[in-house]
Amino acid sequence: MSIETLRYQDVNVGDALPELPIALTSSLIVAGAVASQDYTPVHHDKEAAEAAGMQDVFMNILTTNGLVSRFVTDWAGIDARITGVSIKLGTPNLPGDTMTLTGAVAEKDETGNAVTVEVTGKNAWGNHVTGTVKLTLPAGD
Amino acid sequence: MPTTLKDEAAIVGIGETEYSKNSGRSELALAAEACRAAIADAGLTPADIDGMTTFTMDNSDEIEVARAVGVGDLRFFSRTPHGGGAAIGVMHQAVMAVATGSAKAVVVYRALNGRSGARYSEGVSGGPTTSDLIHWSWYMPSGLMTPASWVAMVTQRYMHETGCTSEDLAEVCIAQREHAIKNPRAFFHGKPLTLEEHQSARHIVEPLRLYDCCQETDGGAACVVVSPEMARDLPNPPALIRAVAQGAGAHQESMTSFYRPTMTDLPEVDLSARQCWEISGLTADDIDAAVIYDAFSSIVLWQLESYGFCKKGEAADFIRDGALRLGGRLPTNTHGGQLSEAYVHGMNGVNEGVRLIRGTSTSQPAKNEHVLVTAGVGVPTSGMILGQG
Amino acid sequence: MAISGTEREEFEKQLEAYVGLDIGLEDRGRDPVNAAMVRHWCEAMGDACGAYTDAAEAAASVHGELVAPPTMLQTWILGGVSMASGESDPRDKQKELHRLFDSKGFTGVVATNTEQEYTRYLKMGDEIRAKTVIESISEQKATGLGIGYFINTRSTFRDQNDEEVGWLTFRVLKFEIAEASASSSSEAAAPSRPQRLKPALGHDNAWWWDCVEKDELAIQRCSRCQALRHPPRPMCGECQASDWDFVFSTGQGTIYSFVVIRHPEVPGYTYPLVVAVVELEEGTRFVGNVLDIDPEEVEIGMPVQASIELVDDEMKLPVFRRAQ
Repeated sequence: MSIETLRYQDVNVGDALPELPIALTSSLIVAGAVASQDYTPVHHDKEAAEAAGMQDVFMNILTTNGLVSRFVTDWAGIDARITGVSIKLGTPNLPGDTMTLTGAVAEKDETGNAVTVEVTGKNAWGNHVTGTVKLTLPAGD
Repeated sequence: MPTTLKDEAAIVGIGETEYSKNSGRSELALAAEACRAAIADAGLTPADIDGMTTFTMDNSDEIEVARAVGVGDLRFFSRTPHGGGAAIGVMHQAVMAVATGSAKAVVVYRALNGRSGARYSEGVSGGPTTSDLIHWSWYMPSGLMTPASWVAMVTQRYMHETGCTSEDLAEVCIAQREHAIKNPRAFFHGKPLTLEEHQSARHIVEPLRLYDCCQETDGGAACVVVSPEMARDLPNPPALIRAVAQGAGAHQESMTSFYRPTMTDLPEVDLSARQCWEISGLTADDIDAAVIYDAFSSIVLWQLESYGFCKKGEAADFIRDGALRLGGRLPTNTHGGQLSEAYVHGMNGVNEGVRLIRGTSTSQPAKNEHVLVTAGVGVPTSGMILGQG
Repeated sequence: MAISGTEREEFEKQLEAYVGLDIGLEDRGRDPVNAAMVRHWCEAMGDACGAYTDAAEAAASVHGELVAPPTMLQTWILGGVSMASGESDPRDKQKELHRLFDSKGFTGVVATNTEQEYTRYLKMGDEIRAKTVIESISEQKATGLGIGYFINTRSTFRDQNDEEVGWLTFRVLKFEIAEASASSSSEAAAPSRPQRLKPALGHDNAWWWDCVEKDELAIQRCSRCQALRHPPRPMCGECQASDWDFVFSTGQGTIYSFVVIRHPEVPGYTYPLVVAVVELEEGTRFVGNVLDIDPEEVEIGMPVQASIELVDDEMKLPVFRRAQ
C-alpha cells in the first residue's frame, strides 16, 4: 500500500495525524523483539519478565520506535524521509492492552522542508511513549 | 494553675535542616538534626530537654529522636493529628506541658522526605481498614484522592460565591515569591514569578494551577518551648506565645467537609481565631505580620477572613493592592511560605514566626510586635500569636 | 537504603572514571543490510511502506531503490540469540559499569529516553558497525522507581566506507528497587487493565455499597428523627439515635461544586476527570464523576441525573450526567 506523499506546503502546524490503535499481543511483542534482533529475555520469556518485576513480556524500545516511525510514514507517505527520533519512555507495553498513537505537527522549517511531529503513545496505564519525529517532505509542484 | 494559655511559654530556639528534593538520608536523621540545631540555638543542651512532641504523621518516634539527639529523661511526649492542621496543635501541646509544669523544656519537631520518599501528591490509597480509610473510600473510587483535588473543590465554590479569580490567587503566589527571592533557604531563592507565568502554568486540578500548589520537600524543622522565666536566662530574644489554640468544627471531615450547609464556611478556623483573640486580648488590628498556612494559595484568603483581617468573601480585595507584601498591611509568609520556601508541614512557618519577632527575617517588616502563625485548612486546625518577650 | 557518606563518595569517584570512556568494543553487523530482515521487521510492525519492501515503488520514490526503515538502525549490530544467555564480553566497559552499580544495590535498570538521528537511509548491501561512548553519569536522583543514577551513552554508526550514517543516544536509569515494588512484583498476576481504587468496606458503609450493587443510590435515615445523612455513620448527629434505615435517592440533583482533575493521572481513571459535589433533591450531598461532558461546560447549579454503572471491569459506582 502506498498513499500519495504529503507535500511540505500541504502540512500546517497543528494538523493532527490519524489516530493509530495498536493491539498489544504477545505475538507482536515477541515478533518485534525477534525482528529487531533483540533477544534480551524480558521481551520473549515471561519468567524472565516476572523476575524483573513485570507481569508479562514487555515491548522493547526498537519495536516502539518502529511503530512510531510507521505511524508517521502511514500519514506522510513513501517520499517522506525520517531524519530523527527523540522519545521518552513511560509505562510498559504489556500483552492484553492497547496502545493508541496520536500526533500532531509541532513545527515547520523551510530550510530543507523539515517538519517536526509530536507523538504520544498511550496505553491503559498512562503514556508509554512521548516524543518527536523529525522528517523532510518533498516540496510541492 | 493558669486558666488560659496567655504568656505561659516562649519559643527560645529554632533549627532546621537544609530544604531539598532529595535529602539522601533518613527522616529520623533530619528530625535529629533539626532538634539538635533548635536546642543549640536556644543555648541549651540535650540534657535540659524533658518533653518532645510532633505530628501523628511524623515517621520518627519521640523516643527515637530523643535517643539520637542524646535527650535523657522525657516527662512529656505527645502527638497531634490531621496533617498540616497540627502545625500549631503541636505548639499547643508544648505550651500546655510547660504551663502546667508537666515539662520544663519541650522540643517540637517535624521532618519528612516529602519529595524523595512518600509524596502526598500521589494520593491516598489502601491500607488497614480504619475509620480514616472508610472516609477516603467515599472519594477514591471517583478519583478524588489528592490534597489538591479536595482543596480545589472548596476553591471552586469560593470563587463562585465571591467572584475571586485565578489572578487573585496569583497575587498570593507572587507576593510570597517576592519574599522567597531573598531567602537563601527557599527552593525559589532568586527566582521571581510573574502573573503571566502563573496564568500559563498547567492546571493540576481546576481551578488550581501549578503555582497555587505547595512544593514537596525533604527537610526537618524544630523549635524549643520553655517558660517565660527560663527564657529570660537564655541568649536569644524569646518569642512569647501570647495565645495558642486548636479547633475542629461542626460537620468536620479531614479535607473533605463537603456537606456543611455552606461548604465555604470554615468553623474550625473561625474557632481557632476566636480563641486566639480571646486568650491574648488582641485583635487583628494588633497583628503586624503573619505566617499563614499555605499548602494552596486559596486557603490563605480564607484564613485572612476567619482571622478578621477583612470581611468574609472580601479577601481578594484585601490583598489586591499588595497587603501581603513588605510595606503592605500584613506582610505574610515572609520566608516564601510552603509555596516558595519549602513544605515542612507548617513547622518552617513556626520558625519564620520566631524570626519575625527576633527581627531576623530575610524580608523583615519594620513593625514586629505581634505575629500570627496558623496551621492547615480543611482539617481540624490551630493557630497562635507570638509577641515580644 | 541507598549508600551514603564516604561509601557514596568513593562510589561516585569510581563512576567518574567511566565518563567519556569508549566501551572498548566495536559492534559489527553480522549481515549486510538485507531484504529478508527488512521484510521480517515490516511484517512485525505492520509497516506497509513500499520503500522498504516493494522494489518498483521504492524505485519510483525519492529513495530510488529499496531502503531499510531508519528506526532499524540498531538492529544491524545487535547480537541476536546470543543476547539471551546474558553473557557478555569481559572487555565491555558498559557492562562492567552496570555490574558496578549492581554491586552497590542499584540492580534495577530501565531505559528512559532515546534520541536518534539518521544521516541517510540504509540500502541493501550496506555494512554497518558502531562504536559506543559513555557520555555522562548523573548525580544521584530520587525517581518514581527509586534512588538511582542516569547513564547516557552515545553510539555512532558507520558504513563500509567509514562514513557516518547515524547516531543514537540512550538514557538508562540504574536504580535501587524499592522494597514495596519488589514485593508487589511477586504477587500473582495483576489484571492487564488497571482498575479504579476500591472502597474499603466496614460495618458502617458496606450496606451502602450493597445497595450500589443492586443499582440503588441509598441515603441513610435516622429511624427516630427521620433526618437524612451522608456519608453514613453509626449514630444520628441530631438526636443521637443508633437506629437507622435508608431511602433510595431519585438521583436528581444539581452541581454544588466541582473540579477537573488533570494531575496526577492514576491508572484506571480517564483524564481530564470531572468530579462534582452534587446536591441531591432529597437534600444530602454526594460526590461522584460527571460523564460525557466537556469539562469547560460544567458549571455550578447545573442539573444532573445519577445512574449506577460499571466504571471498570469490577466496580459499580453512581455517576452523573447532565439532566435532559
